Amino acid sequence: MIVQLLLRLRVVISTLVLAGLWQAVAMSGTVPEKYFPGIGKVLAGFVMMTASGELLSNGALTLGRAAMGLAGASVLGIALAIASDLSPVLRKGFRPIAEALQSIPPAAFVPMAIFSLGLGAKLYAFVIILVTIWPPYFNGVAALAGVSEVQLQTGRMLGLGKLGLLWQIKLPAAMPEIFTGIRYAGTISMIAVIVCEMLAGRDGIGFMLFKKAFALKTPEVFALMFATAFGGLLLQALVSAARWVVTGWHILMMERPA
Amino acid sequence: MEEILRVEGLRKSYASNGQDLRIVDGLSLTVRRGEFVSVVGPSGCGKTTILMMLAGLTSSNAGSVVFNGAPVTATPKGVAVVFQDYSRSLLPWRRNIDNVLLGMRRLEGLGTAAKRARAMELLHGVGLKGFEAHYPWQLSGGMQQRVAIARGLASESQLLLLDEPLAAVDAQTRGDMQDLLLELAQKFQQSCLLVTHDVEEAVYMADRVIVLSQRPTRVLEEIAIDLAKPRDQLTTREDPRFLAARHHVISLIRSTRAAAGANPGHTP
Repeated sequence: MIVQLLLRLRVVISTLVLAGLWQAVAMSGTVPEKYFPGIGKVLAGFVMMTASGELLSNGALTLGRAAMGLAGASVLGIALAIASDLSPVLRKGFRPIAEALQSIPPAAFVPMAIFSLGLGAKLYAFVIILVTIWPPYFNGVAALAGVSEVQLQTGRMLGLGKLGLLWQIKLPAAMPEIFTGIRYAGTISMIAVIVCEMLAGRDGIGFMLFKKAFALKTPEVFALMFATAFGGLLLQALVSAARWVVTGWHILMMERPA
Repeated sequence: MEEILRVEGLRKSYASNGQDLRIVDGLSLTVRRGEFVSVVGPSGCGKTTILMMLAGLTSSNAGSVVFNGAPVTATPKGVAVVFQDYSRSLLPWRRNIDNVLLGMRRLEGLGTAAKRARAMELLHGVGLKGFEAHYPWQLSGGMQQRVAIARGLASESQLLLLDEPLAAVDAQTRGDMQDLLLELAQKFQQSCLLVTHDVEEAVYMADRVIVLSQRPTRVLEEIAIDLAKPRDQLTTREDPRFLAARHHVISLIRSTRAAAGANPGHTP
C-alpha cells in the first residue's frame, strides 16, 4: 500500500529531495550565495522571466530550432542511408568521412559557419544537421543491411522491384532501429542549439544564459538551465510521438507479454 | 493434364575451397495443372534450394525452369511461395489482413473493396475469423502459418510452392493443417508442389511423390499415389496402399543414404 503510494509519487519525491539538497548546499555557505542562490531565488527568477514572456519566447525559439534541425537531420540521414544501401561504393567511401565528421563537437563548426553563413537560420541549420545526422545515418545503414533474407525473398516472391523492396520491406523493417538513432540525435540536437545560440546567437535560451551570466543574475541562469532540461524533455516527447506514428507496431511488439 | 511447370537438367553448385561442390545435378521434373506433388529426400539434399530455384529466387548454374511456357528468372506472376520460416516471412508491421492484401498486389482487375472482401474470405477460410486486425506476432505459430497460406492463395496463383510449411507446428495442428491445405487446394483448383522431410506427409498429401537422391541431388523415382480423395487422417493412413507407398519411399531414401556412405551426423 505505502510502497505503491511512494512509487506513484516518485517524481514529486525525487524533486523534493533534489530541492532539499540544493537548499542545504546553498544554506551551508560553502559556495557564496552570489554564485549559488537558494531554491527560492531560482524559482523567483523563473517566475519573473515567465511573467515577462522572455522565457517562453526564447524557449520556443530554442525548441523550434532543435526540433526543425532534428527533423531535417533525420530525413537527410535516412536519405543518405538509403543511398549508401543502394551503392556499395558510396557506403564504403563515405564511411571514413562520416566517422571523422561525427567526432567533431558542435562548437568547432561555429566559427567557420559564421564566416560562410553569417549569423542566422542558415548557421543553425548547418551546425545542427551536421552533428545530429550521424546516429540516424549509421543506424539506418546497419538496419537496411540487416533486413532478414526471408523478408527480402518474400518481397521478391510477391514481385516487388528494387524500389518496391525498399519502400515495402526494407524501410519499414529498418525504422525501429533508425528511431533509436533519432532519439539519441535529439539529445545532441539540444546541445548543438544551445552552443550555437551562445556563440553566435542573438536570441534563444543559449544566448540568454550568457547574457544573464554576464549580468551576474545567477538565479536566472539556474532557472534557464532548468528550462533547458524541460525543453529537452519536450523534444524527446515529440520524438516519441513521431515514433508511435511510424513504428507503433514495434513498440507494441516489444511490450507484449512473453 | 496440361503441364504448367517443367524443370530440366537443373544444376546448382557452390565454390568451396577452390572446388566445385555440386548440390543439385541433372534434376528434372514436371508439375501438371491441378496436381499435388510432394518432393521428399534424405536430409541435406538441398530441398529448399531446389524450391527457391523453381520460384526464381535463387539462380541455377545449368538447366532450365519453365513455367507456362516461359523461362523463370524471377518469381512469375502465377507462382506463390509459402516459406518454412513463416514467422519472419509475414511482415510484422502489417496486420494479418494487410499481409494477405500484399499477396494480391499482382492481381489485376480487382478493386480495393473487392480485394479486401476476398482477403477477409481467405482469412475466414483458414479459420482466422476475428483475427484480421491482429498483427501476425500476436498469433500462435500454427495460426501464423495459416495467415501465410492465406497470403499464398491470395494471388490466385496457378502454382503454390510449399517449403516444409508444417515443419514447425505441433503434431496435432499439423494434421488439421494438412487437411486444410488439401481442402483449399481442391477448392481453388490449385496446383501444389510440397517439399517436406516427412515421408508420411508427402504420401498423405500427394497425387505423386518425387523422391530425391543424396547429393548431388537428382530425381530417384516418381511414385503415383492412388488413394481415394478426400483423404482422411485415420482411414487413409491405414490403407494398405498408403502403407505400401510409405514403405517404398522410406526404403528408397534409406538405399540412397547407404549408397552415399550414410550420413555421418545421422542417428536414427
